[in-house]
Parts: sequence; C-alpha cells; structure tokens
Amino acid sequence: MDLFKSHLSKALVVKGDLETDGEVHIHGRVLGQVCADRLVVGSSGYLEGDVIARDVRIEGRMAGRIFALNVTLDSAADVTGRIFHNTITVAKGARIDARMPWRPPSYFETLETLPEARQ
Amino acid sequence: MSMFNRNEKEVNVSSPSGDKPREFTPAPVTGAAVKPATPSVQPVVDAGVSKSSGPSVISKALKITGQLESSEDIRIDGEVDGDIHGVSVTVGAGAKVKGSVYGQTVELAGTIEGKIEAKKVILTGTAHMTGDVIHQDIRIESGAYIDGHCRPGSNRADGKMADARKPN
Repeated sequence: MDLFKSHLSKALVVKGDLETDGEVHIHGRVLGQVCADRLVVGSSGYLEGDVIARDVRIEGRMAGRIFALNVTLDSAADVTGRIFHNTITVAKGARIDARMPWRPPSYFETLETLPEARQ
Repeated sequence: MSMFNRNEKEVNVSSPSGDKPREFTPAPVTGAAVKPATPSVQPVVDAGVSKSSGPSVISKALKITGQLESSEDIRIDGEVDGDIHGVSVTVGAGAKVKGSVYGQTVELAGTIEGKIEAKKVILTGTAHMTGDVIHQDIRIESGAYIDGHCRPGSNRADGKMADARKPN
C-alpha cells in the first residue's frame, strides 16, 4: 500500500482536523478541516468542514468550503458551500448548492495566508 | 494537470475504435471521439480509489488532531493527537498517538502518550508507552518501553470492554 495514502473506512468517524502531504480517501464521516495533496470523498463518505488540497474528488456528500486547483464532482456528489477552484469538472447528476468562484493558480500556492481560508 | 494527461492516455487506450493514427486526424474528429469517451474515463479513475470497507489506514504522512471512532479496525502509521476508539487498533512503528486508545485489541509498535484500555494488549519490541495500560490479556515483548501502570481491567470498569462484540 502507498505510504502516503490514507484510507478512512465507512465505519470511521473523525471529529477533528486532518493534515497530510499525501492522499486521503474518506469513506466514513469527517467533521473538521482537511489539508491534503489529494482528497477523495467516496460515495459513502461525508465531510463537514473546509478542504485545502491540490486535487479534490467528491463522490459523496460534503458541506463546507473547497479550496483546490482541480475539483471533480462525481454524479453522486452532493455539495453545499463554496468551491474555490481553477479547473472544475461536474458530472451529470451531481447536486450542488454552492458558489464556485474561479481563482488563478497563484491563489492556491499562497493559500494559508488568505483571509478567506483562515476564517 | 497531470490528471488530464492521464485521461487523454486512457481515452486512447480504452476507445473501442482504437485506430493508431488518431492523433493525426483533423480536430473535429478528435473532439467527437473524445466527448463520448469521457464518461467511460471516470470508472477508470475510480479503479484507483480504494473500496469503502476494510480497515482504516492513517498513513505515515497524515496527522489527525481530534477524535477517531470506528466499529472496525484502525491502523495508525501517522500521528494522532486525540482519542481513538476502535475494535482492533494497531499503532505501527514510527507512529505517534497522544491520547487514549480503546479497543478489543491494541497492538503497539510505535509511541503512545496517554492510556491504553483494551481486552488484549500487545506491546512489541519497538513500543514506547507512556501512561497506564488497562488490559485483560497482555503480551510485552523484549525491548518495549513502559512508563506507567499495567493493571487488569474488569468487564464492568470499561464500557467498551463490556460491549465485547468479538470474544478473543
């Protein structure tokens, strides 16, 4: 298994923040902030909180803000909040109740210092 | 960016009418070929996605600040600052936990600063335990470090133990 890949199974509930340079797959519930290189919220997953990542893929439910260079919303995705992105892919059937502001790539490089991300 | 490159490759590979010189066909034809293939690309991406069941793995690179609760197994190779509730909890070598660890079975090869409360506790040779260990059955391998009390816990004292789903 990949050393930098974390897998949070269906049965796992995390109340708190996740921070990694690698990849996180959420199939359970996470209530808190996620900082990662790549985040995948699986079809059974639920994330409530903000995400800062390079790539984000949502196949399940999510409520909160996404700050990511590349965002992919699967057909089963259910997203509420805001999606700050540079490129976004939305599959037919995805349910989105969110604003989707576009940002240049430079925005994501300095993300930690941004007031929008800090709040 | 790399994702798109990958997709293009997949389109070329998975497309049924895989003529070799597609790259040299005129633009409108390429566009038509790419569009219907796009939905078929997604399952290919999914193939890399791990399944939803099975044990949770907190990798070496992951740090969690907060509480973990699972009705399945948990393996920790990274860092956790908070309590962990699981069935079988394995703290790998190099992993660090600051908080209490509850479970049916707890195997420690890394570091815990806090408490272990489990039916069956295994401290391997690389274990570094600071805090109390409450157990019914314990194995301590040569080389393990313990700074704390080891005491047997009754079924009653700990709700988690009383809830034994899997007898050991």
